[in-house]
Amino acid sequence: MSLLARLRSMLRRNRLDQDLDEELRSHLEMRAADNLAAGMPPEQARYEAQKRFGNTTLLKQDAREVDIVRWLDEAARDFRHALRMLQRSPGFTTVAVLTLALGIGANTAIFSVIDAVLLRPLPYHEPDQLVMVWENNSQHPNPHNTVSPPNFLDWQNRNTVFSSMAYMFDGRDNLTGNGDPQEVVVQDVSANFFSLLGVSLLLGPGFTPENGQAGHDNVVILGYGIWKERFAGDPAIVGKSIVLNGHPQTVVGVAPQNFQWFIKDGSLTSAKPQMWSPFVFPQSWSNHNDMGRFITVVARLKPGANRSQAQTQMTAIASQLEHEYPDADGHWGVNVVSLRDQISGELRPALLVLFGAVAFVLLIACANVSSLLLARAASREREMAIRTAIGASRWRIARQLLMESLLLALIGGGIGVALAVWGTNALLAASPRNLLDMHSVSMDLPVLSFALAATLLAGLLFGFLPSYISAHSRISETLKEGGRGTSSANRRAFARNAFVVAQLGLALVLLTGSGLLIRSFVRLIGVDPGFDTGHLLTFKVSLPRAKYGKDPLCLAFFQQLLARLSVVPGVRSATMESFPPLAGLGAATAVHLLGQPSLALSDLPVTNVQVVGSNYFNTMNIPLRAGRLFNAQELAQERHVTIINQAFADKYLHGLNPLGQKAAIYMKSLSENELQPSEIIGVVGDVHQLGLDTTPEPTVYWPHPELVMSGMTILVRTANDPLSIASAARTALQQLDPELPLAGVATMDQLLADSLSRSRFTMLLLGIFSAVALVLAAVGIYGLIAYSVTQRTQELGIRIALGAQRRDVLRLVLAQGARLTLLGVAIGVFAALVLSRLLATLLFNVSATDPLTFAGVAALLAVVALLACFIPARRATRVDPIVALRYE
Amino acid sequence: MLKPKNDLLQGTLALLVLKTLACGPLHGYGITLYIQMVSKDFLRVEEGSLYPALHRMEQDGWVSAEWGLSENNRRARFYRLTAKGHRQLAEEEKNWERLTQAVAHVLSFA
Repeated sequence: MSLLARLRSMLRRNRLDQDLDEELRSHLEMRAADNLAAGMPPEQARYEAQKRFGNTTLLKQDAREVDIVRWLDEAARDFRHALRMLQRSPGFTTVAVLTLALGIGANTAIFSVIDAVLLRPLPYHEPDQLVMVWENNSQHPNPHNTVSPPNFLDWQNRNTVFSSMAYMFDGRDNLTGNGDPQEVVVQDVSANFFSLLGVSLLLGPGFTPENGQAGHDNVVILGYGIWKERFAGDPAIVGKSIVLNGHPQTVVGVAPQNFQWFIKDGSLTSAKPQMWSPFVFPQSWSNHNDMGRFITVVARLKPGANRSQAQTQMTAIASQLEHEYPDADGHWGVNVVSLRDQISGELRPALLVLFGAVAFVLLIACANVSSLLLARAASREREMAIRTAIGASRWRIARQLLMESLLLALIGGGIGVALAVWGTNALLAASPRNLLDMHSVSMDLPVLSFALAATLLAGLLFGFLPSYISAHSRISETLKEGGRGTSSANRRAFARNAFVVAQLGLALVLLTGSGLLIRSFVRLIGVDPGFDTGHLLTFKVSLPRAKYGKDPLCLAFFQQLLARLSVVPGVRSATMESFPPLAGLGAATAVHLLGQPSLALSDLPVTNVQVVGSNYFNTMNIPLRAGRLFNAQELAQERHVTIINQAFADKYLHGLNPLGQKAAIYMKSLSENELQPSEIIGVVGDVHQLGLDTTPEPTVYWPHPELVMSGMTILVRTANDPLSIASAARTALQQLDPELPLAGVATMDQLLADSLSRSRFTMLLLGIFSAVALVLAAVGIYGLIAYSVTQRTQELGIRIALGAQRRDVLRLVLAQGARLTLLGVAIGVFAALVLSRLLATLLFNVSATDPLTFAGVAALLAVVALLACFIPARRATRVDPIVALRYE
Repeated sequence: MLKPKNDLLQGTLALLVLKTLACGPLHGYGITLYIQMVSKDFLRVEEGSLYPALHRMEQDGWVSAEWGLSENNRRARFYRLTAKGHRQLAEEEKNWERLTQAVAHVLSFA
């Protein structure tokens, strides 16, 4: 019947109804009249006519077979019927609903995070047109290297693909006045930063183009958080003045709450900016040969331009610059990255792996419920046969069973969404603070649509096969055989076996994934960081340049601070360094070893530079491998000495004795005649500066007088809990200068845990999901074997009566489970070999096809599956032959 | 009274109704009476089967229906065979002939 006719019949439904009513009434009346004429009493004449008709309502519905409304009526009837059927078997319903709720809930929870991180548009104007522009050195690949200011200026002048470009770099400033001094992360930006992103401020006019001129840059825009916390959300803040590093700055705006701008790769502080201030390049910053790379660049593509066009043009500009400034720009290219990839890039692989994992969990759940339905369908075969016999069509029966499945799915989905709301918030609460930058996930339209789609899909998926088989069973066979040994029973048995095998296979894939992550994590935490992380307190102290602008002041301050700290009770020793380990931070520069041939600056080897205070190596427990440590004179005055790490010696000195070698370290200034080479006086062990998963890089250590820095990380080795001396440390600091805040207080063990947080979190989640998968698969094979034992009670009874031993029965039943398990494991291993490659980027020092992991999880799954079979197998041995034979 | 099995009637009911209507337009009650009379009370059409069948045939375009007045002035719905219905009748008669011949062959063979 065509759709048109169906629609027409729907529209005519009322008319049709009336027609039919009238037609049937006239029929009844004619019959009654004839009965009357034949001599029946009037009452009986009418009753007889009615009786022949049966239920007129039912008849009417049958006559309107084609009506779509009738279809809906029937669906509603099926729905009520399904509800009754589910109520009648609460055990089955509970298990099925919970299984589905788990599957759908896990999917919805992970999807809500994916939606928030990967799918939802960024809160900027036309965010797809925003790109990050990085430099990228072919000799020392780092795809997201910060940019040198003169290059930025040249890019800005020469490109035709960007409508505007903005720069930023962050630092820690001291915020004083109204309350304790506080260290805040301030991002210095170009004046067009906010207008380029297209952010409308919560309050205030924001930066004007005039703020981009020297002398007009004493303004600041507050982030939402600091405005709320420090300034109590003062609605009249705009126009007021705050004091940063001793300089008054006028507040010209407050950023909206959803402005969470943070580009980790370019950050010098590794912390989210709390306020923004315009920064004007000084004249000297356009000199290519005198500038380092430290700014982060964001740009907006012109309408119609795309990222790859921008990449092409910027690469061309970079090679022009390489020719023009070979010393500064040799080997440097440009990398244009979309803002979306920049922000979500590092989370994407983990999220996609987790999404795949929960999809597997849902599939396993579906297989379980499907298998349960098949078992139920077998026992309901007579019901179905009778319904077919009295005229229900196949479609009708299939539809009724599908309705039951959908109802199960909907209830499961509803509970699943509730679970997801709870689970997602638990997830976010448990997730490390530096991983997901969210506090709550809302169940908004896309997430709910996803949950609904997953629910309906699951309902159809697990409902299809059972209803198909039931609808195609042969009635006569069923009624004769009493539901056993029929072709549909065989098909059901096959389908259930297939489901169990599929479940075991899927579970194995998940277990392999989490096994690999666990092994990788164990490898990771087994890495020796190169120093002792226990009982070590760290915090940061940044001296405002206005007050401590002269090097000797700076030097003296830190020396006094370390001296005071080292006499605090409970402190064993105190030291400091420029960049704390494991935080992904560092400064690097070119180095020229005087014994080696001279090269162009851009071809020289690169080394990390770490500036340290007295007692550094002792406090950190970094072993001395050769030579000696810095002495008191070298720690007090510039004596041109340095200590290198083992990686430097191995990579650049190739077995030469490093001691006494002289190295020109291009950190202070590039002009050759000012550069005083440093003599290597010692070699120390390697430290994992960037994180446990990164190999230690060549590093030179300078005592503080060699390169006086105003911001240092203080490290205090304590006898007991490091945090217990934090307040004593604050007192020591503020006795020296009451305006200075103690910032970023943490123990080194915390920093270590933070650096591992993403690996741990991914491992934990995948571990949870694969445990769920393992349990579901075990329940699946348990259910199948238990059912088959029930079905075979009679057979087993006969075997026992004929003298079969317990052992034989046990073996018989276990063999069935073992066959399925082996098949499932084999398929799973094969699938895991293909799929585990997707995990490669998340693994550390473990191959994606690690044989030990594969063997381990295969064994684990096999043992659990066989244990699950063992329970019904034991029951089978206790079959009483007398009872079994009387079964029928 | 013979009560034919459901599936036997399914096929034959359409044939009987088409044949009945071939003699002229008739309402549902009339059809039941006619079949009962012509089959000498052997076949009795169930109302529960007749009306669904009539509606299906109407949907399929074999019959058309319109309201009219019965012999004793009652409003009734009269069914009339369409051209398509005539063709269908010829088809079903041929099928029926083949079926009965085949059954007869089998019976006489044994």
